[in-house]
Amino acid sequence: MMKIEIRYGAVGGQGIITAGALLVDIAVEMENKFAIESPTYTAAVRGGPTKVDVIISDEPIDFPHAQAIDFFLCTDQKPYDIYKERLKDDAIVVVDSHLVRELGDTRNWKVYHVPIINETKVGAGNVVLTSVVSLALTQKMTNVISYDNMVAHIKHWAPKGSVEMNMKAIEVGMNLIK
Amino acid sequence: MSQRKVLQGNIIIAKAALAAGCDFFAGYPITPSSEIAQYMSKEMPKMEKAFIQMEDEIASLGACIGASLAGKKALTATSGPGFSLMQEHLGFAVMAEVPVVIVNVMRGGPSTGMPTKPSQADMMQTRWGTHGDHPIIAVYPAFSDEIFSETVRAFNLAEKYWNPVIILLDEVLAKAHMDVEIPEPGSYEVYWEKTHEISDLNIYDRNIGENPPRIDFFHSYPIHIDSLEHDAHGWPSFDAKTVDKMQKLRMEKIFYNLDDIIKYKEYFLDDAEVLVFSFGISARSALAAVKMAREQGIKAGLFQALTVWPFPRAALQERFKKTKKVLTVELNMGQMKYEIERIAPPDVKKQTLLRANGLPFSPGEVLETIKEFVK
Repeated sequence: MMKIEIRYGAVGGQGIITAGALLVDIAVEMENKFAIESPTYTAAVRGGPTKVDVIISDEPIDFPHAQAIDFFLCTDQKPYDIYKERLKDDAIVVVDSHLVRELGDTRNWKVYHVPIINETKVGAGNVVLTSVVSLALTQKMTNVISYDNMVAHIKHWAPKGSVEMNMKAIEVGMNLIK
Repeated sequence: MSQRKVLQGNIIIAKAALAAGCDFFAGYPITPSSEIAQYMSKEMPKMEKAFIQMEDEIASLGACIGASLAGKKALTATSGPGFSLMQEHLGFAVMAEVPVVIVNVMRGGPSTGMPTKPSQADMMQTRWGTHGDHPIIAVYPAFSDEIFSETVRAFNLAEKYWNPVIILLDEVLAKAHMDVEIPEPGSYEVYWEKTHEISDLNIYDRNIGENPPRIDFFHSYPIHIDSLEHDAHGWPSFDAKTVDKMQKLRMEKIFYNLDDIIKYKEYFLDDAEVLVFSFGISARSALAAVKMAREQGIKAGLFQALTVWPFPRAALQERFKKTKKVLTVELNMGQMKYEIERIAPPDVKKQTLLRANGLPFSPGEVLETIKEFVK
């Protein structure tokens, strides 16, 4: 059985709910998997710590929150501190190198420090593209969806006139970790 | 595997309602149910169906009752605080026997509580929130496909039994995007039996246990609808014999038809030593836990209630003949556990896993409780 658990941590407004929803869309509608994305957020939709759990499996999913996380991407210190629980010992962890400074005990995680937010602003041109940059990072590090399906889906999903900037965002995400 | 789509839980409800023939929505948006109103406000005008954003939840249910009396299938959606406001009109709908469907996406309470956190703390409010002895039907889906099928069923039950039906949903699933199979129209029942042909004006006249007829009230008949106790014609009456009959008519239409109304799912129960009783999101934790328990050689099974009111008493009592341990798992300080205590024989050991802090139970927590219980 294939089952992968992914968690995104951020502050509200950074786009991770969109990243999770896109990932689930591609996994289910293009790759025939079972998947669920469940967000946890606070009353402060913008600025409050937010997490999104995504589970993708080739069997129906019982419990929708992640229990043994394979991949954790986090773009702010506060959600990192709150949501770093339930990671597998050998989890892949990607954190924003400017905004997550204190990692604490990193066990046997494979940790990558990359300037996600900054590169999105500079490289893709707009911070709202963090969702697509995060999606591309997830694709590269986990291979849970195929690169081709990701590109095809984003082309189809991107609002009119924004396809090019979304493609640029994919490129930024793919190149953040060499 | 057939092609599955990704939809948010709230949107599955909205789509299912339209599939069930819902042609009127009145509501006041509230987290975590807002996407239902949002979707309806976009889609219903395209279908030449009516959507109204009301000034509050009291008016929302009032408008739905009016629409239903005019022959429409009406829906409103809310969360705990709004459901509290609806209780007066809920009683009216029960008393006047008006079909209407109400979605309550539960959140942490009491009062405005925790808008973005899940809870299952409106179970008893759903049963007894409005005053007086009254029948109520409540369904509670847990998995994506059930959200669709139970919503359609809620409309069918409302129409069939002339009663308000409540759909309970969890914040977690209302907000989650998940794979779901939307069945083809025609592959599920849509109940719609409306008659303009009435032989006399005694619209409430029928034998105890019979389904009431669905009458288009405003189709040229001078029919009286009253929140006071009434006679067969709908006129106020406090005559003891009449009241006795009307009370029974309302209660028994549900209790004569339990087989049609009650639905549940059973997992691994045939040889189970411990029966886990749960519903909604907690049933999903419990199902994962029961599977883990089986892998460890522990004979645990799950009884997942899809109809929570009326309570699935007979089916549980059948299980209690063989299974002598019951664990109730619910995200509240203890509500449905009292129903279990009422119906389980004294030789059945009862345990609970309860919590109301906004965190759903993890499968591991349920598993630990099961292991402790079977020791």
